Amino acid sequence: MEDTRTDSPLLEAINLTKRYEDGTLALDDVSFKVYPGEVYAMLGGNGAGKTTTINLFLNFIEPTSGEARVDGIVTHVDPLAAKSKLAYVSENVMLYPNFTALQNLDYFARLGGKTSYSKDDYRRVLTRVGLEEEAHDRRLKGFSKGMRQKCGIAIAILKDAPAILLDEPTSGLDPKAGLEFTRLLQSLRDEGRAILMSTHDIFRAKDISNTVGIMNRGKIVMQKTSAELEGVDLEQIYVEYMAGYMDDAGVAAEEVA
Amino acid sequence: MLKLIIEKELREILGSTKFVVTFSVCATLILIAFYVGGRSYDVSRSDYEAAVAENVKQMAGLTDWGRIDHRVFLEPQPLGALVTGIANDIGRTTEVRTRGELNSENSRFNEDPLFAVFRFLDLEFIFGIVLSLFAILFGYDAINGEKERGTLRLSFANAVPRDKYILGKLAGSFLALSVPLLIPILIGCLLLPILGVPMESGDWQRLAMIIACGYLYLGVFLALSIFISAMTEHSSSSFLLLLVVWIIAVLIVPRTAVLVSGRAVDVPTMDEINFEKNRISDQLRREDDSKLRAYWSENPQTGTETRDQMMTRFRNYWSELADAREQEVRALSARLSEDRRNRERVQQRIALGISRISPTSVFSLAATDLAGTSLELQQQYQDQVSQYRDDYTRFIEEKTGGSGGFWFSGGSTDEAEEEPIDPYELPVFEFDAPTAATLVSKSLLDLGLLTIFNIVFFVGAFVAFLRYDVR
Ligand SMILES: Nc1ncnc2c1ncn2[C@@H]1O[C@H](COP(=O)(O)OP(=O)(O)OP(=O)(O)O)[C@@H](O)[C@H]1O
Ligand SMILES: [Mg+2]
Repeated sequence: MEDTRTDSPLLEAINLTKRYEDGTLALDDVSFKVYPGEVYAMLGGNGAGKTTTINLFLNFIEPTSGEARVDGIVTHVDPLAAKSKLAYVSENVMLYPNFTALQNLDYFARLGGKTSYSKDDYRRVLTRVGLEEEAHDRRLKGFSKGMRQKCGIAIAILKDAPAILLDEPTSGLDPKAGLEFTRLLQSLRDEGRAILMSTHDIFRAKDISNTVGIMNRGKIVMQKTSAELEGVDLEQIYVEYMAGYMDDAGVAAEEVA
Repeated sequence: MLKLIIEKELREILGSTKFVVTFSVCATLILIAFYVGGRSYDVSRSDYEAAVAENVKQMAGLTDWGRIDHRVFLEPQPLGALVTGIANDIGRTTEVRTRGELNSENSRFNEDPLFAVFRFLDLEFIFGIVLSLFAILFGYDAINGEKERGTLRLSFANAVPRDKYILGKLAGSFLALSVPLLIPILIGCLLLPILGVPMESGDWQRLAMIIACGYLYLGVFLALSIFISAMTEHSSSSFLLLLVVWIIAVLIVPRTAVLVSGRAVDVPTMDEINFEKNRISDQLRREDDSKLRAYWSENPQTGTETRDQMMTRFRNYWSELADAREQEVRALSARLSEDRRNRERVQQRIALGISRISPTSVFSLAATDLAGTSLELQQQYQDQVSQYRDDYTRFIEEKTGGSGGFWFSGGSTDEAEEEPIDPYELPVFEFDAPTAATLVSKSLLDLGLLTIFNIVFFVGAFVAFLRYDVR
């Protein structure tokens, strides 16, 4: 685990803990850092706490203890400043059904503080995320999940934020679009953005991320850099972690460490 | 930011099929309200003029002022056609006699039951029902619907201040609903002069205020809808809740208020009062009869008197008694009526007070106050008629030499002068409607209440949204 960088992380979770009102401990003392030009992939089963982590960065919920920071700004202290540095794509992108793709892009770009884009800019980005030309001026009503996801990604790109939060961004994308998305992610990373992504897609995670964290029941149970994962069968490890953690958390953790 | 959110709200509402459909319905109903109002004013006006002419005509050829059958009529008011209030319920025709009760009859509904059925087409009713439903239809899912659709989450992933967002939402949806409604309203206003409604500047001013009240009323339900939308998890539950509120506010409260006040204050019916009056007047008559008999036996014909002289003496005594009795009965009648009126006033005040918990009632009261067709119209009309009756009585007494058409007067002496009367000599009755300023000042309480409703729900929506879980 490297922590020798001198520049500061764009996204940082510090002992982040969240207990919901009903007592569920969704996050338990989670810490990680994402530097500019890096992708951090959160792997984990359903209910592991991935969405909760992202919600904390967006200040949709307040942490029980610990803090989430965006470019040094504590999100629950100054949420507006933090959010102005964040772009976000949700698990299931939902946009205004009565607006066309372009109108949705225009609205959300302006909401994100970007007022100088032209229609051509929107079309270019939509093409970049792989949405066919003919759909640009169609209302969102008839869009498939994957098409909506592409619009969501386009909106995140348009915001031009230094940090990007992606909650299972590839869910609903066909293989071709998935591949295009991977390329897109790489180019965003190479532009120097910090990307935090939750995913169930182990292969893609290994492909493009600098760091992979495996989450289980609100804890990060394993965290490895791409270098450390070189030649390692991540799927094997993941499944073992999941299984092991469920049977006997202690033993499984020992074995891999 | 605020402008962007307002713009988006406008575009989202105006671009929806739901809006196109509901707006068409509302616009049609509003236009119909203006049209029917204009037409019905026209009809009432011709009826009124015909009735006035007929009243004069039927006196033609009469020779005795004491025997005329005189009626006065309530002139239709231009705004009464749009906001009928009680204008159609009260009697518009009053037979004026020098003695006895003044009873108004021939209400519009009596004459033309179809109007009772179609009263819903008046502007006040259409505003009351349609604007509230319109607001609910677009406000019920303003917040929780966006959450359900997932757009709230994406919006708040940006640096959007919540206060700006909710302000934009409230302002945007209000504009989206209110501005398009101006079109049918303005067309309707143009229709009025075309349909021959004589609108004067005071009338226009009041009509503008009625429309402003309508907008305040729309605002109340819109802010309430957004408030409830921000208080509930699902749009289905906010819709249901708002429907219940609507039924209570529009249908239940105004009726219950009348029931409750009816229980609280006992107002004798007109029949009870008439029964009491007849009873006492009968009693007085019996007393007079025995007095007359006593007079007869105590003051028989004296030796110096001719039979005619005795009859005159007797007749004078009778007349004296009758006059005294009439005076007593009138005083009693006035007392009973006054008492009833006071009780009625208390009852009305209670009913109106209770009903004011509903914005719909408040709107109705404001609109009818402004149109001059509130409950007070009946009183104003009756007061003016009874004042007129005094002039009329004086006039008739002058003409008939004091006995004012009493049955005992007249007789063979008049038969010599067979000259027909000139009905145009009669004092003219014209209903003197309160001035625009008076009516406006009467409506201020309810205008204020509508404003307060707006503020309360607006603040409610605002605060609820600041705490709203946008996930
Ligand atoms: N509002 C809430 N109230 C109570 N518990 C919650 C709430 N939201 C999430 N949880 C619980 O928190 C835990 C973590 O949920 P979270 O949504 O973060 O999981 P996830 O990793 O995103 O799962 P998935 O892969 O299914 O999206 C789960 O046990 C979930 O039941
Ligand atoms: Mg999730």
